[in-house]
Amino acid sequence: MSFGRFVFTRSLQGLGVIWGVITVVFALRFVTPGDPINAVAPLDATQETRRAIAAELGLDQPLYIQYGQYLFDLMVGDMGFSYIRGQEVTGLVFARVPATVELAVTATIVAIALSIPLGVISATRRNEPVDYGATLFSLAGISTPNFWLGIMMILILAVEFGIFHTSGRGTDFGDVVISVVGPEPFISTLASWLKYITLPSIALGTYFMALITRLTRSGMLDELGKAYVTASRAKGIPETLVRYKHVLRNTLIPVITVLGLQLGTLIGGAVITEAVFSWPGLGTLVIQSINLRDWPVLQGSLIVIGTSFVLVNILVDTVYAYLDPQVVYD
Amino acid sequence: MVSARVIRNLKSEFKTSALAKIGLALVVGIILVATFAPFIAPHNPTEQRLPQSELPPIGFTDTNEKTSSEMVDGEIQTVTETEVIRADSDFVLGTDGLGRDMLSRIIYGARTSLAVGVLGTLFAAVIGVPVGMYAGYHRGRIDDTLMRIADVSLAFPSLVLAVALIGLWGRAAVRVPDPFVVTGLVSGMPEYFVLPITVVIVVGLVNWVWFARVARGEAMSLRSQEYVKAARALGASDNRIILSHVLPNAITPIIVLGTVQVAAIILLESALSFLGFSGTTLSWGFDISQGRDYISSGQWWIASIPGLAIMLSVIGINLLGDWLRDALDPGIQGEGGAA
Repeated sequence: MSFGRFVFTRSLQGLGVIWGVITVVFALRFVTPGDPINAVAPLDATQETRRAIAAELGLDQPLYIQYGQYLFDLMVGDMGFSYIRGQEVTGLVFARVPATVELAVTATIVAIALSIPLGVISATRRNEPVDYGATLFSLAGISTPNFWLGIMMILILAVEFGIFHTSGRGTDFGDVVISVVGPEPFISTLASWLKYITLPSIALGTYFMALITRLTRSGMLDELGKAYVTASRAKGIPETLVRYKHVLRNTLIPVITVLGLQLGTLIGGAVITEAVFSWPGLGTLVIQSINLRDWPVLQGSLIVIGTSFVLVNILVDTVYAYLDPQVVYD
Repeated sequence: MVSARVIRNLKSEFKTSALAKIGLALVVGIILVATFAPFIAPHNPTEQRLPQSELPPIGFTDTNEKTSSEMVDGEIQTVTETEVIRADSDFVLGTDGLGRDMLSRIIYGARTSLAVGVLGTLFAAVIGVPVGMYAGYHRGRIDDTLMRIADVSLAFPSLVLAVALIGLWGRAAVRVPDPFVVTGLVSGMPEYFVLPITVVIVVGLVNWVWFARVARGEAMSLRSQEYVKAARALGASDNRIILSHVLPNAITPIIVLGTVQVAAIILLESALSFLGFSGTTLSWGFDISQGRDYISSGQWWIASIPGLAIMLSVIGINLLGDWLRDALDPGIQGEGGAA
């Protein structure tokens, strides 16, 4: 199979999963105890309001028509209406996406930038103090609840020393980009952005930093023991070239797969990190809508979260197939 | 199967690995603490003593600024007094905002974490292993369907799905009588252990897919083994082959995954109770959420100590998992969902 066909079939498969995600979310309406109208109507709605909502949403229609309508509405970008907030769900949900993406991307960049060098150093200096340090760090990192880590950082770095803000997102990355050309001074905008983003992205990124350090270390150790490494060294290829051009490259391939699979953990982690730092993203929206029993917003958020997981995984698989000539396209 | 070779491997790995020893010690310690909580806890973990609230742990002091207004010569004067709050030797780790003993809450919290971790993992395995075995053994359409369900299931982060399900179903808990208190061996302790049953069910429903994936992979590779073919040639039914030939040979990676899952579910439970989605208020995650309100006023211990308890337990279980993995199956790479 060619690369083009691989991308095509993988995308089709992804579409199937997205359809599954939507179906599960649609079905959620019916696993709510009581009348499915409860999933939409406010708690204090009168009988007339309830009937009106039922008619408007087609809840008096047969199930397959409702399902078809739901799919159709989603295709034209309509996720329903939140009666509790009095707003369209689509706008509400997508307004929260940039904050979550900003947090997740920053956390991932911080995690990758620190963990891969750490894993490499750890593997190449095996059983030296730096290796023990890295191993201990990665063990602690995968075992620490990220919300607690966040609170501890707030306690020490925000409350005690006042270096960072305790919560919120006063300056976003967009402001930083605009300040390059705009009237706002660049340095102070950047500093202000860092004061908000640093703690949440460390809290969210630590687990991944620890995980990737672990994977890089063990992957490198595996690779370093292989015959091609001995052969390359015997041919007189400089050690740095052997390590970074050949060994590290082969190590990173499985790391990318795990990163794709763990993306769900990243988004799940973002939910709770956002709750700790009052970060105005999708995570806080999910929690708020559950507490308000605002099911349409919950459903919309779940669809966006599930769909982005699938899309990013298609991307990861494509990059993977592109990078690794040995990958079997099936 | 747990053979002599497996036990030998476990022993030799244990002897050479200091980390395995630390892990086992931590896990055994936590199991003992959780089991005998009523004997070990110095106080009733739910008893409130408002006059003794916010006491710091031993070795620390806290200050409390009191402002009072007085009339002096017809003018209102504000007097600020700094009161030093000292630790009380009765409360080794201090008390929380309602004067409940932190140490006792940590000890009882171990029960919740361990119960949810173990029961949730068992529930996930009970769903995931048979489904995965069946699909991997039969392949074909059943297998395709299962893999697509698994893909959909993985598209929702565990925590998000768990929060959504608990939000929809409510937070139910069952009260399990504490045998030591009911039989009168200990008095003054809570009579019931509150098990957040929705959390157990939901974490099982959210994490079964990891078991299904591992069981499927094992069944797929085992089905073409000679002894399976031989059993089939002898006329054994498929279900019998799965039960008596495939499952026993696939048990090692399932146990290794189970260990990782207990750790992951303990983290998930703490996140759920932190967010207020648990059915119990005697949990480390819940205590962290209570303590969060005190960090800006200086009572750092209320949020810090329960987090250390979670961290130590999860480190212990992860070390135990590493030991089992290295000793039982050097081929398995670290994978498995976390919170």
